[in-house]
Parts: sequence; structure tokens; C-alpha cells
Amino acid sequence: MTDIGSDPILLADGLVKDFPGVRALNGATLRMSPGSVHALLGENGAGKSTLIKILTGLYQPDAGNLVVGGQPITLHSANDAAAAGIAVVHQERNLVPEFSVAENITLNRIPVRGVLVDRAEMRARARRCLDLLDLDLDLDAPVNRLSVAQAQLVEIARALSSENRVLLLDEPTSALTLQESDRLFELVRRLRDQGTAILLVSHKLEEVFAVCDTVTVLRDGVSVLEAAPLAEHSRDEVVTLMVGRSHQAASFEPHVVERDGPAALELDKVSTASGHRDISLDVRRGEIVGLYGLVGAGRTELAKALLGLDRVVSGEVRVHGQRARVRDVREALNRYRIGYVPENRKEEGLFLDQPLTMNIAVTVWNRIQRAFGYVPRARERKLVQEYTESLGIRASGPDQHAGLLSGGNQQKVSLAKWLAAKTEILIIDEPTVGIDVRAKSAFHQLIWQLAADGLAILLITSDLPEMVTLAERIVVMRDFQIAGSVPNDHDYERTSTAVIRLIHGSGSSNRKPYER
Amino acid sequence: MKALSSGRSEARTSLLRFFRSTEMTLLVVGAAGFAILVAGSHGSLLHGDAVRGILSYLTVPILIGLAQLVVLAVGQMNLSVGPLGGFLAVLIAALMADHGVPVLLAVVIALTLGTLIGAANGLLVVTTRINGFIVTLATMTILGGLQYRVVGTRTIDPGSGILKTFGTMSLLNVPVIFLIALAAAGLLAFFLRRVVTGRRLLASGGNPLAARLSGISNDRAIVVAHALSGLIIGVAAVLTVASAPGVNKSIGGDWLLPSFAAPIIGGAALTGGSVSVLGAVLAAFVIRLVDVARAQYSLDPSWVNFTVGAVVLGTVVITRIRETRQAKATRRRVDLGRTGITGDSSTAGSAS
Amino acid sequence: MNTTEQVGQPGTDRPPPGRPWTVRSHRLPPGSIQRLGLLAIIAVLVFAFGSARSSFYNQQLTVFPLLRDIATFTVVGLSQMAALSVGHMNLAVGRMAAFSAMFMGLAYQDWHLPLYPGLAVGLAAGAAIGSLTGWIISATGVNSFVVTLAMDFALLGLVSLVYSQFSTTAAFTTQPAGMDGLRTYSLADLCAGNVCGSPAIPQILLFTGLAMLVVGYLYARTRVGRELLLVGSNIRAARLSGIPDRRRVILAHGLSGTLAGLAGFMLAVTSGSFTAGIGSQFMIPSFLGPILGGTLLTGGVVSVVGTLLGTALVQVIRQGLTTLGVGLESLDVYLGVILLLTLSAGRIGSVVSHRRAVKTR
Repeated sequence: MTDIGSDPILLADGLVKDFPGVRALNGATLRMSPGSVHALLGENGAGKSTLIKILTGLYQPDAGNLVVGGQPITLHSANDAAAAGIAVVHQERNLVPEFSVAENITLNRIPVRGVLVDRAEMRARARRCLDLLDLDLDLDAPVNRLSVAQAQLVEIARALSSENRVLLLDEPTSALTLQESDRLFELVRRLRDQGTAILLVSHKLEEVFAVCDTVTVLRDGVSVLEAAPLAEHSRDEVVTLMVGRSHQAASFEPHVVERDGPAALELDKVSTASGHRDISLDVRRGEIVGLYGLVGAGRTELAKALLGLDRVVSGEVRVHGQRARVRDVREALNRYRIGYVPENRKEEGLFLDQPLTMNIAVTVWNRIQRAFGYVPRARERKLVQEYTESLGIRASGPDQHAGLLSGGNQQKVSLAKWLAAKTEILIIDEPTVGIDVRAKSAFHQLIWQLAADGLAILLITSDLPEMVTLAERIVVMRDFQIAGSVPNDHDYERTSTAVIRLIHGSGSSNRKPYER
Repeated sequence: MKALSSGRSEARTSLLRFFRSTEMTLLVVGAAGFAILVAGSHGSLLHGDAVRGILSYLTVPILIGLAQLVVLAVGQMNLSVGPLGGFLAVLIAALMADHGVPVLLAVVIALTLGTLIGAANGLLVVTTRINGFIVTLATMTILGGLQYRVVGTRTIDPGSGILKTFGTMSLLNVPVIFLIALAAAGLLAFFLRRVVTGRRLLASGGNPLAARLSGISNDRAIVVAHALSGLIIGVAAVLTVASAPGVNKSIGGDWLLPSFAAPIIGGAALTGGSVSVLGAVLAAFVIRLVDVARAQYSLDPSWVNFTVGAVVLGTVVITRIRETRQAKATRRRVDLGRTGITGDSSTAGSAS
Repeated sequence: MNTTEQVGQPGTDRPPPGRPWTVRSHRLPPGSIQRLGLLAIIAVLVFAFGSARSSFYNQQLTVFPLLRDIATFTVVGLSQMAALSVGHMNLAVGRMAAFSAMFMGLAYQDWHLPLYPGLAVGLAAGAAIGSLTGWIISATGVNSFVVTLAMDFALLGLVSLVYSQFSTTAAFTTQPAGMDGLRTYSLADLCAGNVCGSPAIPQILLFTGLAMLVVGYLYARTRVGRELLLVGSNIRAARLSGIPDRRRVILAHGLSGTLAGLAGFMLAVTSGSFTAGIGSQFMIPSFLGPILGGTLLTGGVVSVVGTLLGTALVQVIRQGLTTLGVGLESLDVYLGVILLLTLSAGRIGSVVSHRRAVKTR
């Protein structure tokens, strides 16, 4: 069925890509053969997205070669990639909301008759693509009227709209139901049999094992497994490769969790307007509780509900045993001493074009201000300096712009403002995404220390080794509900297996939703 | 058979969509307003002269609205519409009156120059990466100066040439200049709907990232939109010279606000990608009616501005409320989708 | 007045990375280069214009009106700057000035208030209309451009209606005691013992100084001012840091309206009467001053001194060209071209230094 030894249709060799403060790819290699489905696996931040963006001409590698169909090639734009026969379904939605389904499908190759759009041809082409997916969508409906799943299918259909040699699918099923996914993979197999080379990036391992022939595993920007036949590897082997021995839980001195009295933060059957149902969990002083789940499981939304950015429709939130009704972030901070370090630090955590002082002091002004809102500058600077020193933030001075710091230092700044505000409960969301390995372990040390100092910490992360390193208990969320809780004995194999079981539903290892 | 029925249902849904659209609201408001005014005037509003007056004064508002609309389509703004129109108008008049340039040549010069200046606006935006607002603010100053330089304190009357005749001509009691504005609107609508360049322009405005991923140049879209805006302003300038008794330094001075009012009331989003040519034309008509009403009841001219401002404010607020409602509905739909997924996996789980 | 010591454009400040600081750095605050550059350009221009035409230095005929214009338009610029600080625009700045001035005129003519209470009434009206605008923007989430544009329309109509209703000549000409003095008095009329000020400096400049002090203090030294800047810098991060973003947006527009009202008053003092036409020429200069002075359209960075310098540059060019005999007809052309060049140069400079900053990392 597949001939793995044949000449590769796409060969990426020794790719290196640097971003300010972090090396995303460090000699990654990818080899794809025609007529085969290839899996690209790796933890968050391993470099998968960067690799895909290089293959689609959005990023140019700093070093390394690309060979497509035996020809060395440089891709400067999305057009170049399309011309080379590479199509892609990106993880982000990339549709023009006002345009019709048909038009979005044909956007990268608008059919023309003279200067006009050939609407008949456009519709015909779009219909063919939708038929491939067995979809019956209104071709003329603007895509902003579609559901998330339908929009994702339109995007997949678009990648099918041109005769491509290589098809890249980056998390194509994140919004699809099982039936829709099944149909997609049926099609993937059909395309494979017609000779297309397909790359699948997915968090869902069962999908990968059901449809893929070969696999490349990326870790820290390097291919640790290269185009290996998937049949020769067990799921556990692949997971171990993704995680890496070096990432085995670093051991910290255990610290004291205050078990007496009420928990610092307690959720009792909380349901929210954004769709959480009966969430119950508690975090005690000195404890780090992990909140694990797939992207879209509702973890960040839960954090925002705790900050008063979303409505709690039923159930009770208690802070130190007292019922808490948080209406906005200000109240969360000043009254309940809850702080939130957001997952997306550049968009939600930092003021990139502002100096460090402003970034850190923002939460303390209401405490140190004097008459007429005057902020005593010396006091402010001293406070800021105290936290930059204790967190080891490396900067040229208090006036340096946050945007010019490295990722790790930026994250420390995002955290520092909550420490300066003397919060007692800290929700930390995906703290180490896009941060290099060394800064990451320093950050882990820091979080551990904060808990040892008596903070109650709710840690949201999709990075399983990080979770196993830090959390005392791991609460797993699935589809806006609590799927279960795993006590962490810091044994990576055991804990991660238990967590992954919970994520995929307890009986998932027996389930075979996809046929080979 | 399937195609037939789906075609019919598509036609029905698109008809339904139209009935709920901004355009439909404007059409109803416009028609009702006009009917009330006709009744109030005891029918004199339906006389030839009155109709001709209403329509010929509608010409320029439509065109400047379209000129703004085309840049709004790519998420840009053009503050220089007024001074550009004023400059081109006095230029045509001066060329004809002072230098004896033939009408046709003057018109061609004006249209070409308008397009070039528009393109220059666009090029400045894409090369310097300065906000389009600031760039056109600067060119607005320059063009205002050029206009004054050409005309000074004079009022130029290019005489009673063909252009003038053309400006007062009517077809079945409809002024030709108004027909030209309508034709321009039709062409623009066709361009944005059917022509590949027009679609690329809208795609770039609607989602620049998606456009880039599909190999569409956002820079080119911006330059093309500004150039088209300049061309349309050129047309407005020509028609102004044709219909006005004379042109001076004040031409174009009061175009800025109406140029935004028509497309925005007509349903255009400032963020780009979503514009309605029909909506803008109807909005220009509704605004014109306010002026007609003012004249009919001999009210202070200031009522017009006040009403238009209040209407725009009302429109944005209502649109916003509608959007919020829609977003809520969408969220509900997503919720349903989510429970759907949960249902699936749980059934799969129990089956195993 | 170190308003922008805290703030500046990204990329202008490139530190050697990787060293925790212990002492306060003594480098020039970011953005000060830009302001020094402006000051140098102004100085060169003043010298050039003065050398070409000695009448440029004439205290009564040139310098006094020039400074009076700078005084008024700096306040106009500050009004726009307040909106820009949260990343918004105020296209109705001129009409808000007219709206405030209308209340002042009414206060003097119909309510017979003295000078300063009348001014206070007008400023309150400006604050109210500005806050209303800010409230509409924050409640609906509609772009500030659209809302202030519509507000401009509405006020344009409303103000004219009121003038035609309450006055026969479309102007309030009643002048309270002391208003005429404000127009003509210079510092020469202010004496401390035998030492008198310069006759070239109009007293009305004191209003500008006061406005600059208050606004500068607000942005540089107070919590609220900093929160305004953070809302402009990143509204989502501001909300997640506990800043009441909606109230800050309303405040920014309220401040903008108040300052517009003050500018309207200053213009009325200069012209001698309150008319509906006050502020009709405010829109373009209101953007020029702040933008040339380093305030960012995207919000988060303001400069009070920069706004003064930017406004001064524009007015000096205008006055200088007029003195040189460049007719009104060419004035705007040169002005626009100079403006484009200045902005492009600044932009290119910041892009280059930003690239360099990114590369060295």
C-alpha cells in the first residue's frame, strides 16, 4: 500500500529558525513520500508550527534546504508554496468572513474569465471539493454564518481545491465531531492512494495511529525520530520520544500544604455562561493544582470566569471559605487577592511598548497612591526593583520596553505584577509556551518557590512534563467538564498515562473509531 | 432536480436575507420619507423641476460616498476626498476658461490626475507604513493648498460649453449627471462583486491574513483602492463643474463628513471587507431627503447636519446591538455543537 | 515637564541585554531625541525666517500673534492627545470647542456671569459632551472614528441652531469684564516691582501653561494617567490587570472635551466673540501637533512638550512663509509636504532602529 523507500516528494533538511530569544527549529528534518500519510508529532513548542510555516512560505528558514519533487526550492510566499503544489489547512481559521463558501474555497486560485470571476466554474470547483468531503453546504452562504465545525470543513475543502502533491493538515479535527473526522480521514486515505503525500499534525494520538503510515517526532526543534514506519512503534514509545528522558520530572523538595481549614480557592458545582457544567475543585495554600486538557477544553474560560469576565450561572466559588462573587478583575485582585497570568502574554499579559516599571507597577498604584492619585516615583521604582531582582528579570533598566525582553523574562514580568500586588491565589495559564528550555526550568523553580511561600496556585498547561514536574494533583478537563483527577507521584510514565486516559475517555484504548 | 430545488431555495434565502438587510431598511425609510414629503408638499415635489433638483443634488453625495466606500473596503480611510475633488474641479474649470483646453482633454486630465493622486496616497501608505488616516490628512492639506493656488479667490465659470449643456441635460426628466453617478455605482458594485481585482480587494479588507495565505497582495489592494477612490473623485469633480454655476475655493470643503456618512449608514464596516454600494446610494438618498424636508419646511439648514449626525450615531448603536445578539446566537450554536461532540464520544465510549 | 520620561516609541531604546540594573540609568529618556530634533528645526527655521525678513522678529506684529496661535493650538493638540492616549480619535474636537464656547456665550449674554464662572460653565459643558462621546464608544464598542464623526455632525447642527435661536447676529458678543484684556495683554502688563515681562508674550499663554501642567502631571505622575496610557497600549491586558477600561475611555474623552472647550474659549477671546464657527479649523492642527511631537496614533504614548513643539513647528512654518510673502495659496502645499517628509523620516528612523534592535537579539 505504501512504498516508504521511494523518492521523497518533499524533503526538508537541517532546518534552523531563530526567533528573538528562542530557537524554534534546530536542524529539523522532514521526509515525505508520495502516497503516504505522515505524522508530525511533538510537544507544544517543539517547532511543529514553525516547520509548517516554513513549508508554506510564511517563514524563511535561517539555514537548511527544501527539496520538492527532486528540485531544490526556496519559498518566499504562500504563492510559491501553492505553485510548488503544497496545500495547507492552518490551525488558525483563515477565511474571509463575508465571502461565500464557494469563494473561500477557491480564494487561492480564483477561476477567471477575462477580468471577471468565473462564477460557474467557481461553484463547480467548490462543489467538487465539498463532494469529496461528502458535504452539503450552501455554496452561497457567507462563511460567517457557518458553525465552527462547518468553517473548519470549508477550510479543509479549500486545501483540496487544487491538484496538490503535498497536503499539510495542522490539527484539522480540533472542531470536528467523530463522524466528520471519520469522513475526513476516509478522504485522506483516498488521496493517499491517488499518490498525494499528506502530513498530519494532531494532538489526538488515536487519530495518528489510525491513519498515518510514517512518523517524524520533533523535540526542541530537532527531529528525534525521522520518517519511521509507524507500525514499528508503540504509542508509548512515541510518547516517550516526544517527551524525552531529559524532561523527566525535575525533583523539587516537597513543601508543606496547609490541609487544615478551608481551601484558599474552592469551586463547588460551578456552571458558567460559556458552558462549564458542575466544575468542582479546590486549591489550598502552598499547593499547586494542575488543570490539564486539550486546547478548547475550557480551562482558560474557567480562569476568566473566576476573574469575573464570564458569568457564573450556578454553583459557588469560595475564597478562604467565604462565598465570592467576583464581578471584575479589579474586584478579584483587590478584594479576593486572585491574580491571573494569561496564556497569551503578548496580547493579554504585557504592555509591549511600555517600560518595565509600568508593566509591573500597574497592580500596586491603588495601594501606593497619595492625594490626587499621585504616584510616588521612588516608592514605585523601589517596588519594581525589588521584584525584578527577586525574580531575576534581566533587563537594562526600569525603562526598558517589555517588548524587547526575551520570552522567559517577559513571562516573569507578567508574573511580577501579581506578586507585587500580593495576591494569595494565582492562576497561571500556559506559562512556558515559546520559552527555551533553560528559562523554562528556571520558571518551574520559581513557581515551586511561590507555592512553598504559601501561595495557592492553579496551573493550566498543555505541557504534560511541566504538569508532572509541578502539580501536586492534576485535574483533567474535557469539553467544559471535569473528567477526573489524578494524584501526582512525580513518576512521569504512570501519571501521564493516567492523565491521557482521562483525556480520551476512560475506555479509549479499546476504542477503534477509525478503520485502517 | 436537486440543483433546481437548491437553486430555488438559495434564491429564497438570499431574498430573505435582503429583507432583513440594512439596504431594505434604508429603502423603506427612503420611500416612506419621500412619500411623506410628497404628501406634505401637496404633490408639488413630483413636478419635473423638483424631481430634477433632488436628483441632480444627489449626484455628488453618491460619488463621494462611493469614493470613501472603496477605501473602506480595504480597511483604509481617505480624508482627502474633499480637497482632491475641489482641486480637480477648479483645475478643469481653469484649464478650460484660462487656457482654452478642449473639454474632453480637460476631463481626461482630471480623471487621470485623480487616479494618480489616489494611487500616490496608496503608495505612501504602503511604503511608509504610516497610518492611512495621517497620510491622507497630509495630502488633504496639500491638495487644499493646490486648489487655492489654482483658483485663488475667484469663482471660475467655464462658460456655456458642451460641459454645461451636458450638466443640465435630462433624460425623461432624470438629469444625465445623476445617471452617470448611478452608472458609476453600478460599475463599482459590479467591480467589487464580479471582477477578480475587486474580489481580491474585499478579501484583503475582510481578512488580510487569509488573503496573504491565498497569495493576494494586501499592498496592491490598498494602492488599487486608493487609486479607484481618486478616479471616482475625478468623476465627481467633472460633474460638479458641469452642474455648478461656477467653481471656487469652497468646492469640496464640506465633502468629508457626507463621504463617510453614506457608506457607514449604508452598512460598511470601518475594519474593511464589508461594504454595500446599494446601501451607500440609498443612504445618500435618505440624507438628501433630510435636506429636501428642510427646504420644504424652510427650516434652518443646521437641522440637516444635526439629523444626519444623530442618524449615524443611532445606526452604529443599533448595528452594534444587532451584532451582539448575533454573537450570542452563534455562541449558543457552538454550545450545541459542543454538546454534540460530547454526546458522540460518550456513546462511543459506552459502546466499547 | 518630563511627561514622556516613562514612555516612548518601541525600538528607540536599545539596551545591552542581560544585565540586571542596580542604579538608575542616566541616559536620556526615550523620545527626547525626537523633541530635541523638533526644537532644533524650530530654531533653525526661526533663524532662517528672521534672517530673510527682519519683520519676523517684530514683537507686536509677528511674535505676539504667533505665540497666541501656538497657545491656542497647543491646547487643541492636547485635546486630541487625550483621545489618542487611549488609542482613540476625536474628530469632533472643533465642534466640542464650539459647543463649549456656545455655553460660555450664553453664560455671559443671558445669564450675565463674570468671566471665570462663565468659563467654568463652558468647560463643564465640554467635559459633559466629551464624556457622553466616550460613553457611547465604550458602551457600543464602535470605532471612535465613527462615533466622533457623527458627534461632529450632530454638534455642527445643534450649535448653529442654538446660535440662530438665541442671538440675532449668529454670535454672542457680550463680553464680561476682563475678556478684552486677556486678548491684548502681554507679559509686559504683568509686573513684579519694576521688572515687567516681554511685550511679545501674550498673557493667554498662561492658560496653555496651566493646561500643560495639569495634563502633564496627570500622565506622568498619577495613577489615572498611567492607566489611560496602559488602556491605549493594550486594552485587553489593561482589563486583565484590573484597570477599569471603560471608565478610563470615558475619562479620556471627557478630558478631550474639556480641553477642546478651553481652546474654544481662547479662540473666542482672541476673536472677541462667540460664534458657531469657532473650532471649524481645529481638526487638522489637532492631529499635527501631537503626531509630530511623538504621540502615537495607536495609543499608549503621549508627549505634552512634544505637542507644544509640534504645534509650534506648524505655526512657525505658517507664520514664516506668510512673512516671506508666500501667499495663502501656497502655504498649505508647503505645509503638507513638510509634514509628509517629517512623518516619513521619523517613521523610517524608528523602523530602522527597531530592525536593528531585533537583529541584535
